Amino acid sequence: MQMTVVEAWIEAPLKRFVDDAGAELALLLHPSGQVLAQHGFARAVDVMTACALAAGIHASSGELGRQLDGRPFRGLHHSGRTRQIFLAEAQSPRGAFVFLTVFGPESSLGLVRLYFEELVKGLAAAAPPLEATAGPALAEHFERDLNRNLAVLFGRA
Amino acid sequence: MTARPFASILDGLTRQRWVTAALVVSERDGIVVESNLQIGQSGDRLAALAASLYRKARLSAKAAGLGAVSFMQLEAPGGRICAVGGGDLVLVVVAEPAVNVGLVRVELLRAVGELLAIGGDEVG
Repeated sequence: MQMTVVEAWIEAPLKRFVDDAGAELALLLHPSGQVLAQHGFARAVDVMTACALAAGIHASSGELGRQLDGRPFRGLHHSGRTRQIFLAEAQSPRGAFVFLTVFGPESSLGLVRLYFEELVKGLAAAAPPLEATAGPALAEHFERDLNRNLAVLFGRA
Repeated sequence: MTARPFASILDGLTRQRWVTAALVVSERDGIVVESNLQIGQSGDRLAALAASLYRKARLSAKAAGLGAVSFMQLEAPGGRICAVGGGDLVLVVVAEPAVNVGLVRVELLRAVGELLAIGGDEVG
């Protein structure tokens, strides 16, 4: 499966994560749902769906954590029969990202958490300085930007 | 159920000379269940990697028709990692190079029964 990224600096740390953790799928997105990088997805519509769901889960679990514990939950793990999901926020100098990964029995939650910490460090080290002030997360061009990112990821740009 | 159900097993292992850490780890998740660590040791990192290593050794032995893994030892310049499995749990010991491996092996194999009685269900 091919890895594709919207911004080149994401590729090396994400590739290292996928190789080391043995992840089947990986997705890095803005908390707004805008995709930044993917590994293992075959169709743009699957990426779009996963991004929307991941952003929604991240927002709702974050709020649930704030209500219960006064601060957002750091990560979310769901174990299915054969595959598991890990969803967490990755802080970087370019702001917060949401990271979603799916892994099978060849990996483990411990390995995924371990290499996620290294991914966060890798992203922080690789991130170029923020150039201009970013627009609001849900700007009027949200859909246009989303389609542009998906086109970049799936070779239709 | 006490807060540290594996305390007696871990304390018995870390009492051995040159043993620096002992952990009970979930083999499937690679997460620390309980541990005796020294300051500066990363239990989470060790647990994730040791459980993965043990699992792969167990599957390799099975694939080669060798049966269940009873004892696994990794030797490195700075020391040794020893592990035994019991059900979904793995008992991991980290020791310095001078450790008496035979003694650690006996202690680990003896502890498997106790491990199964507390948290496991079948010998892995």
